[in-house]
Amino acid sequence: MDDNIFEKLKILSDAAKYDVSCVSSGVDRKNNTVGSIGNAAACGICHTWSADGRCISLLKILLTNDCIYDCKYCMNRVTNPTNRATFTPEEVAELTIQFYRRNYIEGLFLSSAVEKSPDYTMENLYRVLYLLRYKYNFWGYVHVKGIPGASNDLIQKTGMLADRMSVNIELPTRESLSLLAPQKKVENLLKPMALINHEISRTIDDKKHFSNTPRFVPGGQSTQMIIGATPDNDKTILNLSQNLYDRFNMKRVFFSAYIPVISAPNLPAISTMPPMLREHRLYQADWLMRFYYFKSEELFTETEPNLDLEFDPKMMFALRNMDKFPIEINKASYEELLRIPGLGVTSAQRIIRERKNAELSYDSLRKMRTVLKRAKYFITVKGKYYGNINFDPDRIKDEVRQQEIQKQISIFDLV
Amino acid sequence: MDYLYDGTFEGLLTCIYYHYKKEKATGIFEVKSYQQSLINDFERIETDANKAKIVSNAIVNKISREAYVHIYYCYLSSNEQKEIIILDFLIFAFKYGNNTMNFYSHEKVLPINEISLKVSREVHKFLGILRFSDIEGILYAKFSPDHDILVLLIEHFADRYKYEKFMIHDQRRNKAIIYDNDLWQMIDVDVINELEYSQNEKLIQDLWKQYFTNMAIKERKNTNLQFQFVPARYRKNMTEFH
Ligand code: SF4
Repeated sequence: MDDNIFEKLKILSDAAKYDVSCVSSGVDRKNNTVGSIGNAAACGICHTWSADGRCISLLKILLTNDCIYDCKYCMNRVTNPTNRATFTPEEVAELTIQFYRRNYIEGLFLSSAVEKSPDYTMENLYRVLYLLRYKYNFWGYVHVKGIPGASNDLIQKTGMLADRMSVNIELPTRESLSLLAPQKKVENLLKPMALINHEISRTIDDKKHFSNTPRFVPGGQSTQMIIGATPDNDKTILNLSQNLYDRFNMKRVFFSAYIPVISAPNLPAISTMPPMLREHRLYQADWLMRFYYFKSEELFTETEPNLDLEFDPKMMFALRNMDKFPIEINKASYEELLRIPGLGVTSAQRIIRERKNAELSYDSLRKMRTVLKRAKYFITVKGKYYGNINFDPDRIKDEVRQQEIQKQISIFDLV
Repeated sequence: MDYLYDGTFEGLLTCIYYHYKKEKATGIFEVKSYQQSLINDFERIETDANKAKIVSNAIVNKISREAYVHIYYCYLSSNEQKEIIILDFLIFAFKYGNNTMNFYSHEKVLPINEISLKVSREVHKFLGILRFSDIEGILYAKFSPDHDILVLLIEHFADRYKYEKFMIHDQRRNKAIIYDNDLWQMIDVDVINELEYSQNEKLIQDLWKQYFTNMAIKERKNTNLQFQFVPARYRKNMTEFH
């Protein structure tokens, strides 16, 4: 590695760090290749936490930030004067393997600007994966970006070596895209997604007949969109995610709160705070869609096309649908239990498991460490309501606000 | 009767055996930490692999494999009451058989669940935060876990570094696991002197530190949260915090 390696790593990790996906889960693969290094644990392992409290599990870098495109929201756009750097594929492979051996990381998340042409860039990404897999025999986790506009052949070859591939959808609507990323056509973004999805199902099918067919991106594909750079509402955003989940079998749709880094006519002012809370709410809603059997349309009404910033989406849903509550703990189905604010998967499973022994009382819920602070307003136990106040959305909101204030005070007491 | 054992899992199970076959236990203690009581007699129990096997089979067959795992994790914990918690649990569990684990919140079951959860959390954490350095081709890691989890780490790292040689050193308990070519072994280790890192090792460590520092998004700084995830006591051996 040459002397510039520190400089390159700095520039190219800086450029990648706003990329949100730290997740390395979804693939569980034992190391069974002779002479190889690496396994991929499905539970997702965090290796450290940076000063912003985010989990670091992958080496997340760009191959290059030298871009020919001019997306308005991006630091790397061709018209922005910034320091440029490009790793050689060898350097990326070497860094990955050395970090991996020391247990710093679970694997590599490799993204890239478009250098020279989509094919040129995709070819280099492929080189990195090839070196890792065949020169270093590395079988740890690799997530690689698919470059829109690259040839099918290159995407196909690369996907055979990657655990996950993602093509960013970038912005939630066609209008937003043509405004801010004029060189990116919706069709060019959707085409590789469709290809990846097709290859995934094809290799899964083949595997049924030939057991040694290698799988195409066994960790599936994901995508990402920027939140808050355009006026699109939460309903539009979540409907699109739902669509992406359904149409392309996406494993994850990631959201990234737009951090203003440059001023441009169509963008929020540089002084705008990134919409962190909104991003957080969108993730909570996304979570509800993936694990709690919610559909995006259930969350919104004609007049309320956005999530509530004050209350989490499940709480918001309950408050907007009071007729579906309170729910009787001893009778509710698993899916119904999951709709109770404050009640998670573990609690719901515990309730199902334990109520087989005997009817549950309010006290036994407490003993199960079920968090009842919010749930109590939305449940009955053996027919009795424990909320202590009228079953009325405004009263409940007030109570929960009180709880929040008390929580804040006790945090201040500590410091 | 207070039964005293040698600190091994088999020793603990042997005491359970005597509790059922000889005389009820008033308590089970590790020999080296036992303080004689005024009321109870005590007996030093010789660890007996056969008797231990009888007990472990009974646990798996009459209660469940899940219960057995919880008991083992609880044994590895640093909880000072762990032996009596395990005994109480077993007395309850042999009555309720394979239905036992459904009584999650029962006072005899809950402690086992909670302690073993703590232990598995620590295991999971160290799968990530254990740091190796390359010492002349051998990967070496040191750590001081709250619980005695060394043995629970080996499977993961033996798979991850299948074709490497490595050593994981529990500095608090003065023991280590060494691994080479599909074989591993637990050894006693005293002090290992401060190691000299090679140029290349330092280079990689510095690259990692730079990467780590650089990954934090300034606008979202939240060191409190960082401390929740990586408590101070774990940072000593983590390259990036030095
Ligand atoms: S193509 Fe990617 S790197 Fe290039 S300007 Fe657009 S968003 Fe930035």
